[in-house]
Amino acid sequence: MNRRVVITGLGVVSSIGIGKDEFWKNLIAGKSGITPVTAFDTTEHFTHMGGEVKDGRASNDKVPTPVRNLYSRATQLALTATKLALEDARINNLENSVNDIGVCYGVTTGPIQVIEKINDIIIKKEKPPENLICQLPPHTTLAAIGRELKILGPNYVLSTACSAGNYAIGFGYDLIRLGKAKIIIACASDAFSRISFTGFNQFKAVAPEKCQPFDKNRKGMMVAEGAGVLILEELEHARNRGARIYSEIIGYGLSCDARHMTTPSVEGIVECMRNALKEAGIGPEDVDYISAHGTGTIANDRTECAAIKEVFGPRYREIPISSIKSMLGHTMGAASAIEAIACALAIAHDIIPPTINYETLDPECDIDCVPNEARRYTVNIAMNNSYAFGGNNASLLMKKNNS
Amino acid sequence: MSWQKDIVITGIGVISPIGEGREAFWQALRNGDVGFRKISLFDTSAFKVHIAGEITGFDPLAYIGKKDLRVLDRSTRLLLSASCLAIDDASLEITDENTFRIGVSVGATFGSLHSIAQFDIEGLREGPRYVNPSFFPNTVINSPASQVSIRFKIKGFNSTISTGFCASMDALVYAADFIRLGRADVVLVGGVEELCEETFMGFHNLGLLSGLDGREPLSCPFDRRRNGVILSEGAAVIVIETEEHALDRGAPILARIRSYSSAFTPDGDYKFRSGKGLKTAIENALSEASLAPEDIDYISCCANSTRELDRMESAVIREVFGEAVNHVYASSVKSMIGETYSASGALALAASVGAINKGFIPPTVNYLETDPECDLNHVVNKALDAEIKRALVTSSDPYGNNTVVVIEGVNNE
Repeated sequence: MNRRVVITGLGVVSSIGIGKDEFWKNLIAGKSGITPVTAFDTTEHFTHMGGEVKDGRASNDKVPTPVRNLYSRATQLALTATKLALEDARINNLENSVNDIGVCYGVTTGPIQVIEKINDIIIKKEKPPENLICQLPPHTTLAAIGRELKILGPNYVLSTACSAGNYAIGFGYDLIRLGKAKIIIACASDAFSRISFTGFNQFKAVAPEKCQPFDKNRKGMMVAEGAGVLILEELEHARNRGARIYSEIIGYGLSCDARHMTTPSVEGIVECMRNALKEAGIGPEDVDYISAHGTGTIANDRTECAAIKEVFGPRYREIPISSIKSMLGHTMGAASAIEAIACALAIAHDIIPPTINYETLDPECDIDCVPNEARRYTVNIAMNNSYAFGGNNASLLMKKNNS
Repeated sequence: MSWQKDIVITGIGVISPIGEGREAFWQALRNGDVGFRKISLFDTSAFKVHIAGEITGFDPLAYIGKKDLRVLDRSTRLLLSASCLAIDDASLEITDENTFRIGVSVGATFGSLHSIAQFDIEGLREGPRYVNPSFFPNTVINSPASQVSIRFKIKGFNSTISTGFCASMDALVYAADFIRLGRADVVLVGGVEELCEETFMGFHNLGLLSGLDGREPLSCPFDRRRNGVILSEGAAVIVIETEEHALDRGAPILARIRSYSSAFTPDGDYKFRSGKGLKTAIENALSEASLAPEDIDYISCCANSTRELDRMESAVIREVFGEAVNHVYASSVKSMIGETYSASGALALAASVGAINKGFIPPTVNYLETDPECDLNHVVNKALDAEIKRALVTSSDPYGNNTVVVIEGVNNE
């Protein structure tokens, strides 16, 4: 139970870059990944922009060609990010440790594009092929990672919507603390989805041009896709093999609003952040950076800022709080995993990624949102916030590893 | 915070094709009732099979009232009703004081599939601007679980695990670990799966259903005649908490969770080719609790009347249990309930708690022809009165997951 857990590898597939280096370079340059949607025809929708992973780079060279038609896009994104993260962690030969390696996978609706493809077939009164039906369960991704890497440890799918990434990282951290694994591949992905795009459009929650978290004139979120993978490792195990340590996970907190499926609640978010601080044994004054959930909707940003004010008191304006969703859009289940990667890199480089597209102060969101330009800043402890449909909140705390 | 915390079961809620509420469910298992009937929930004329474990006469109004019922899908109604029963059974009072120490952990994989698919179909048929947004929240897999938190004001945590056949067993593992880590005192552990056209089409088109050859569908685990599953639906919710917490609040203790273990089989071929992961999971569950095979009285099998799984599970049990295999009773309640996928683990756990408390082994019904490849100490066709101290419950998924839980009665140290 006293085992410590560190992050030793990062893999990301996003609209602004594949692999942590390209991703980080573009993130601190404030580059936007939002482009016109190509995954499906948006003529009949109210909006037409989104954050897609371009040029067939979802599968890169990491997904073997013979099995590509067996893996949904969400799985391909996850597998590519997993292999990038293992390379980054310099874990090449898994053979001797497969019993000690597990996977925690976070996802919103899993192979949602598979459901959409099947619907396209059914509506034409045709019969969907078997290899498509086989991809329907979300844990197809576990099977794919299992098949590619031959790992034998505990495997879970956490499907807690837009906070799934943090739930997966959190439970991975638990499994290592409980001694059930030495290494956990904490993974999250979601593919660009017609269902999400239609649903958020019908909610009038999608911005037409750009995502502007915390801006007075913000018009909503951007539907996006991507994958993020963090290699979590027991500290001693990492030290013994001389691994590079990005940061340490020092705790996380969960809560459930238990009020409404889609409207966030200040009380729930406050409880969640406080649970995280309590578990890590630190106070609000110890947090140097907050990676906000920051979707860019009126309701989310207002509620999140109110909760931050309550937890951090009069100091809330001194803490840099940014939302990388301003650049990536909302990658659904993957979002908090990709944001955790941004936190790990912020800690490693002492640079905070910006909230881009920021123009006008909103008195309800009068935080320091690191507007438009990255900032050099010493980040010892970062908090990664995520909220979801169903009121499923999760806050993760990471710390610079000084030892 | 103690690793050695004893975790106990203090309440059970069941909505199944063979009965609602734990007493009715246990009695049905003892009677050997089967829950299969002609499907009425959707048109089956395009399918070769027309029978399933559909729950008839299910009235959510009786459990959860009218509020918001219109927008709740069938999975959510089933899970809310089972939760209501479980909370009552455990005499659990959820208050402003204790709500942050209570959590919800649910196994659901295809529970929202119908809602997701229909939301998309409406967009395709009517155009995306005419889709009803009030059904959008149902398109996340965690929506049934989250509705439990909303309905019963449970604020501690809320998680959904989607690992198919192992989902609700994994939800139990997750919940028990959370209690061990001090994150919660009480957790509602659930499993849910609704019968719908989309899931039925999946099982049908992959050739997994019994009756595809035109004959009467048959759920007969371990029987030589077995030729596929009868798809089914249901929800089970189990209230777990630390023994100390249960004693403090004077709750009746139904059983103790002795150990659990998960292991993965990375074959990736969607078939039960090797039983390596299940074998590891059973071995670890026994060794973690310092139990020998002969300490287990009853194995509640996940065998579902398919050729591969039943054969694989039998072989693994024979291998792990050795000599003891002749003395340990084995059966699969799926012969009566059918295959409820994500809910199957929670239903098997609920059945095993009944076996321990009422002193009987639920039978594998429809058993006629012995299969030498499935040679276990089967209890067939009629329940057997027997004193059970410990039951081992298995779950195995063709995509690789395996989870095993050992539960025991509380008065047998």
